[in-house]
Amino acid sequence: MIEIKGLAKSFAYDKKEAKKKKNKVATDPREGDGVFHAVRDVSFSCDKGKVLGLLGPNGAGKTTTLRMLSTALEPTQGEILINGHDVTKEPRYAQKLIGFLSGKTGLYHRLTVRENVEYFGRMHGLSKQVMDERIDKIFSMLDMHTFAGKRADDLSTGMMQRASIARAVIHDPKVLVFDEPTTGLDVISAKTVLDFIESYKETEMSVIFSTHHLHEVERLCDDVCLIDLGETKFFGSTQEFAAQTASGNLYDAFLNNVNKKEEVA
Amino acid sequence: MWLVYKKELLEILRDKKTLIFSILLPTIIFPVLFFGIGKFTQSKTEEAETKELKVAFVNASAFEGLSTLFTAEKHFKKVTIESDDYKAEILEDNVDFIIEIPEGTSLPSNSRKQEVINLYYKGSSKLDNISSKRVKDIIEAYNNTERLALGARFNLSTDNIKAFNKPIAVENQNFASERERMGEFAGPLIAYILIALAVSGAMYPALELGVGEKERGTLETLLLTPMTKGKIVMAKFGVIFTASFFTVIVTLLSYFIWTYIFTMGGKMGGLDFLSNISGLDLLLVAVLLVPLTSIFASIMLSASIYAKNMKEAQAYMSPIFMLGFMPVIVAFVPGMELDVKTAMIPITNVALAMKDLVKGTVDYTMIMVLLGSTVVIAGALLYFTTQFFKKEKVLFRS
Repeated sequence: MIEIKGLAKSFAYDKKEAKKKKNKVATDPREGDGVFHAVRDVSFSCDKGKVLGLLGPNGAGKTTTLRMLSTALEPTQGEILINGHDVTKEPRYAQKLIGFLSGKTGLYHRLTVRENVEYFGRMHGLSKQVMDERIDKIFSMLDMHTFAGKRADDLSTGMMQRASIARAVIHDPKVLVFDEPTTGLDVISAKTVLDFIESYKETEMSVIFSTHHLHEVERLCDDVCLIDLGETKFFGSTQEFAAQTASGNLYDAFLNNVNKKEEVA
Repeated sequence: MWLVYKKELLEILRDKKTLIFSILLPTIIFPVLFFGIGKFTQSKTEEAETKELKVAFVNASAFEGLSTLFTAEKHFKKVTIESDDYKAEILEDNVDFIIEIPEGTSLPSNSRKQEVINLYYKGSSKLDNISSKRVKDIIEAYNNTERLALGARFNLSTDNIKAFNKPIAVENQNFASERERMGEFAGPLIAYILIALAVSGAMYPALELGVGEKERGTLETLLLTPMTKGKIVMAKFGVIFTASFFTVIVTLLSYFIWTYIFTMGGKMGGLDFLSNISGLDLLLVAVLLVPLTSIFASIMLSASIYAKNMKEAQAYMSPIFMLGFMPVIVAFVPGMELDVKTAMIPITNVALAMKDLVKGTVDYTMIMVLLGSTVVIAGALLYFTTQFFKKEKVLFRS
């Protein structure tokens, strides 16, 4: 189970940026004196076997939140617990449990698909036997055997995304973090990712799924956390989220919750 | 760490661009160009030295024997010109040189003043200079004959004439060995080449392993593995260092091999002095490259990690390249010697030490001093790089 409580992250402006901001009136409540509070107060939780949809407009703080969850960034404030273990105090424990995939994370282009996946398997300390078994299972599941020997730079976008998924789950993570994994993908490639996430609903995994596509949320997510201007605006079940508006659809609920000024801007 | 090191090395070796710039260019293309141009220059020089030159004389009878000297020499052809337009005759290639002895000029041995003759030719290239030197050498030989004849008219002996010609003659008794003399010139050149190779060998892997990973989106993935940032950056540093050091060593070996090939296994001409360099000195040159390469590897990796994109990283590399060479140029300034003070200046100290090692005049105590100071600087820079790599605002700079 993942629990995030009162999470915050601030970034100090570099000199150039600070100078630019100095004489301007702040239009974003996250702009502080010399710092930008990218995440101010984010809280949510995700049980085992559940998929949580992380929603929010661009720049809301979703990626920063997920980077903190995956140990890439250290929170300024707050707590991130995975199965009761504090991620900031036990990053190695968290890294072994988390599988991370985003639309931006790439593969090593001069390695084959198998080499890419093996490399990350070894980084997670898998033995050769376990690795071979895992690769066989995942490659079959994602129908990857036909291009396992191809170099990553020879792959189509869909193949690349399947290889990225394999890379993210090679160490059998208990928490899967997807940061806009379908961004920029064609319909068929996006379907591969969504089908994969759906297949994990049956397992004991906790899945955090950040997306802008509300139809994906409707299809996959049990719960929703909406972040805007670095704060949690809504956290609850997908049904509760949709039921907030008379129309009962996610689009209206989303627009109802996000900062209006941001929308106008 | 070893896992990351092996993977990075494998990727580098599979990168055509890196292979071309780090191995193919310095080991095959540059030496072939270097020796090819050398061979071409040599053949052109030989051609100019043996080319038949057409020489015309105006009023040749005034200087008896001068034209005979030319006809006696190989590869000179005496010709007659039709017009008084010397420029047109030369530009139309009817003649290469026209020696005009003005009317009223006396034979130098009969005259008590310096006689002046005119030499007309078209000289704009180095090859033309070789041709004109051949002509002037014969005129100088005629000058000597006339000088002796003039001296005889004044009852002067050959020694008297020599004294008039040059009251003091200096006979050099230089105790510097050939290695020292050649090393003074070749030492800085070798240091320059080695340092240039170390820098260029580090540059492409540094770009690939730093900002290249950022751009491809693999760095973030790598940071989410249980491998510590310290180990990741050390592995990256190790690959850059290996690539840089390997480039230097392979290039040097290739130059020796190409020299052997181009000289058909014969002597290496001006490089004979290199055979006097002891195994220990060669080993020390290699040892000096270790901290030096580390310095460049650390600086370039830091810059590459800091950059937002490849374009920005490349913009950082140019000043690093220039700043890296400033201390080398300082080492070439006449009078710069390796002492306690200069042994503390990074890069300059290595260039000076390499020069002394090639010359055979090195003070081994200074080598220890500079090794100590360079290792400290290299270590400090490596520490800085590892700390730099741990900073969020560097890794996720946007």
